Amino acid sequence: MHVLGFVVNPIAGMGGRVGLKGTDNVVEEAVERGAEPVSGERAIRTLKMLVKARVEYKREIPITWVTVSGSMGADLLEKAGFSPEEYVVAYECGGTTTRKDTQEGCREFQNRNVELIVFCGGDGTARDIFEVVDAETPIVGIPAGVKMHSGVFGVNPESVAEVIIAFTEGNLGLSEVEIMDLDERAYRKGEWKIDLHGIAVTPFEETYIQSAKMMVRGPSEEELKREIADYILELMEENTLYILGSGSTLKAVGEELGIDKTLLGIDAVINGNMIEKDLNEKELLHLLEKYNDSTLIVSPIGAQGFILGRGNQQLSPAVIRKVGIDNIMVVATPAKLQRTENLRVDTGDMELDKAFSEKRYFRIITGYHTMAVRSVEVQVAGR
Amino acid sequence: MKRNPTAFLKEEYQKLVEQNLDWKLRVLEGPSAPRSVVEGKKVLMLCSNNYLNLSNHPRLKKAAKDIIDTHGVGSGSVRAIAGTMDIHMEVEKALARFKKTEAALVYQTGFAANSGLIPQLVDKGDLIISDELNHGSIIDGVRLSGADRAIFKHRDYGNLEDVLNEAEKENYRRILIITDGVFSMDGDVARMDAIVNLAEEHGAMTYVDDAHGEGVLGENGRGIGAHYNLEGKIHVEMGTFSKAYGVVGGLIAGSRDLVNFAFNKSRTWLLSASHPPQVAAAQLAAIQVLESEPQHWKRLWDNTRYFKKELKSMGFDTGQSETPITPVIVGESSVAKALSDKLFENGVFALPIVFPMVAKDKARIRTMMNAGLTDEDLTDALQAFEKCGKELKII
Repeated sequence: MHVLGFVVNPIAGMGGRVGLKGTDNVVEEAVERGAEPVSGERAIRTLKMLVKARVEYKREIPITWVTVSGSMGADLLEKAGFSPEEYVVAYECGGTTTRKDTQEGCREFQNRNVELIVFCGGDGTARDIFEVVDAETPIVGIPAGVKMHSGVFGVNPESVAEVIIAFTEGNLGLSEVEIMDLDERAYRKGEWKIDLHGIAVTPFEETYIQSAKMMVRGPSEEELKREIADYILELMEENTLYILGSGSTLKAVGEELGIDKTLLGIDAVINGNMIEKDLNEKELLHLLEKYNDSTLIVSPIGAQGFILGRGNQQLSPAVIRKVGIDNIMVVATPAKLQRTENLRVDTGDMELDKAFSEKRYFRIITGYHTMAVRSVEVQVAGR
Repeated sequence: MKRNPTAFLKEEYQKLVEQNLDWKLRVLEGPSAPRSVVEGKKVLMLCSNNYLNLSNHPRLKKAAKDIIDTHGVGSGSVRAIAGTMDIHMEVEKALARFKKTEAALVYQTGFAANSGLIPQLVDKGDLIISDELNHGSIIDGVRLSGADRAIFKHRDYGNLEDVLNEAEKENYRRILIITDGVFSMDGDVARMDAIVNLAEEHGAMTYVDDAHGEGVLGENGRGIGAHYNLEGKIHVEMGTFSKAYGVVGGLIAGSRDLVNFAFNKSRTWLLSASHPPQVAAAQLAAIQVLESEPQHWKRLWDNTRYFKKELKSMGFDTGQSETPITPVIVGESSVAKALSDKLFENGVFALPIVFPMVAKDKARIRTMMNAGLTDEDLTDALQAFEKCGKELKII
């Protein structure tokens, strides 16, 4: 029997149709503007798919749910056709639910050692959960929010049911994904800022390679990250400043170098040694003044595949200009690349964006001596 | 602590069993035929690669039986030392004639061809460019080579061109573009005309793994080269005798230079024994049947067109297949597994391909057409699909 957490943010997604970029801190306004709840229905689509797989397709799916009361979980499980023996309410929420209820619920889930937390919401909900659970607990999101930049969401509610089934059958590995969120307060002041809040784990299909009769398992994500790191090490030249972007692929590069690369920050390396870490724009510009040759290594971040302009605002137009577009190196595991069709940039500088458009595509290192090529699209904030 | 040298055998196997990823071998009682007996149950066989049903052809069976009387049952050696018999040479001559190339070479298996030849064609300082959905044996061949690797998006030749342009920035000695001819999961076909054009522009070598195209594509099943009128223009046409030809063995067809290079350098070819004479005799007979009995090839395509058309009119999604590989895409993995089980109960043997092997919403039953299926067989198969599809509310 698998013990899974289930929580729904009942107000997620309400801001979208009434022109708000989320419901963080403005739920009353959303309701006044006529917003209606959407997340419950989406969560039910996932749950119903599970019930259908059991009844009609004879899949076992041995799950005990740990959930929150009422519209945050229990009511939906009941409505979808799960029997009362199949779920326990670990936390009672009040009449008006808030992010605190989501977080208290998830704390309770952890106390009961859930193997996976299934939630329904958007970036804000993902972030709320990520803040209170330990980073090793896998999270998967049923998409219902206005903003979904984080990598934890399924494509649609039904696909999340597939992930849950495969997870209970032990057929999925875990993959690291970014938890990202728009700074809504800044946004309402006209500023577009998407922050990288952390790296969570989510169940993920490993890379499969086509084979004659079926498929065989390819190398794991971790092995591929090491391959990429080994290759980067081979490519590194003496007396060149290497600026390493954020994310787990570049952390792996740091590990191969034997340095303590920050997960979320931008660090600088020269001749195999880390000289400074967690740099801001000013510090980066200062370093770039000192060294003639530099290379910036970045990896696509979040669900939309941004290499610049989301979650790494330190890499400002001035920094990018100083490094030079042709000295930007992109790395990504094949699995990550599968999720991101094209690369995106949004530098906030029209001329620089134009230069990226003209470059058209980037070479991406995807393994040891292995590359792919992907188009780069300019996508300006808010659009 | 003293190590247990073999504990992992059981542990790792158990893990596969728990994850339902272990292979459960289904035993055929008797021949692989359109109507086979699988685990005691009579079923319509819709998942074999025996496209033309040549494995049961009287001429192949007779050729194999007869040569045992004159040549024995084993070849005694590797080809390079004392294991090349007249029958082996005859097969290669006939194959080159059939494929309209200068020369041809037979390998022990298709896997041996890919994993033996690819690492010889490219090495350090070279680049190999591969379709992302290429077969596992190509990927192994590529991994054995010291060359740099680039992966292009599946059948996206604009992306291939971007890769080639990017590659021109490095000073590569050789560039090899490699692709499956027919992709075995979806039944779609590589655009060899586009690949050959790009390759000519960039001075790159072309290599196609035509395992599912040999005996199937092109007039009378001459393969993908004939399909695109590119005979002799693809540098390496690699294929197999194990599918439409109905026997076993890998093959390459191309220039005399290619063949001379290949058999002198491929370690798999040099270090495993040659096929026993009855295998070679059956291979030769298969080529002769393809040359003189076009009805099998025609029947395969008639069956394919009919089967696809009927499935579509019932409301099944058969994807983008252009070949006898006909996926029946049903969406969720659970549905595909349930459909496969139900079909088996109803006398149709067709395996499900599910997430995470294909995308979450693209789980499917993969069916392969066969020239040996009669009108009655097809009617039975289609009726079973209709019945099971309706029961599971797929259609």
